[in-house]
Amino acid sequence: MKKNLFLPFIGLFILAICAFYYFNQAPSQKLEAKQVPAVLFESKDFYMNELIDTQNLGDFYIINFFASWCKPCLAEHPLLMELQSKGIKIIGVNFRDDEDNFIDWIEENGNPFEYIIRDDGSIAYEMGLIGVPETYFINNKIIQKKIQGPLFYEDIETYL
Amino acid sequence: MKILKHTSNFLLVIFLLSLFSIGYSNENKLNDYFKTIRCLVCEGQSIHESDTEFAINLKEQIKIKTNSGMSIKEINQELVEIYGEQISFNPSKNHFLLWVMPLILVLVIFIFIRNKLKFFYKK
Repeated sequence: MKKNLFLPFIGLFILAICAFYYFNQAPSQKLEAKQVPAVLFESKDFYMNELIDTQNLGDFYIINFFASWCKPCLAEHPLLMELQSKGIKIIGVNFRDDEDNFIDWIEENGNPFEYIIRDDGSIAYEMGLIGVPETYFINNKIIQKKIQGPLFYEDIETYL
Repeated sequence: MKILKHTSNFLLVIFLLSLFSIGYSNENKLNDYFKTIRCLVCEGQSIHESDTEFAINLKEQIKIKTNSGMSIKEINQELVEIYGEQISFNPSKNHFLLWVMPLILVLVIFIFIRNKLKFFYKK
């Protein structure tokens, strides 16, 4: 009977090992705490044909991947406009899009972006993009938060 | 002279065929590799089967990287760094606990049942 008393402790011990293993994962597995890849800052803005001025961006900014063929991007667009009106700087990355469609889309829906970069897929690859829209909240060049899919008000209310 | 001409034509054909077969085997190697990469949009499929924008882009980027001289091993390392181990159908790290845990659990259950049975038969 005494032996049976040890069983829960064995279970707890195993759980403790699992917890230790989980919380001591290599940093590369914690995807959100990684740096913004340099390739983004080596690309030129579509309208100004200039590199991104990191000093103008400041410490906190947002990177938003979008495309004219992406319907959920249209749904989150008003929120991006609101963020811009509050002075938050957003880098728009236009992912695998037709140039004419992209220009029309921006003209129709407004431009909330400080910089727009057209991406053939290489920036998306380096950032670890899964699909558009996708938004990254950056602080001091480190990705603090990543939101897959369209933004909702709850996602950004702390920044407004 | 005629023999020389025929021989040179023959060698040219062999050379072209070998070039084609190298290209073909590289393409096959890449396709085999694509089968080991998980599409993160439709997780049951590999990027080889998937038609999502994610899979198409990943295939393109991998092709660009192999053409620029990166080996598949290096690309795989990079992919795991970017997307985590979930990207691969063949995780590289040794998940010792994952494999041993069921055995430990079975052992614990076995000891528990054995003790219970002993208690029952003693009664």
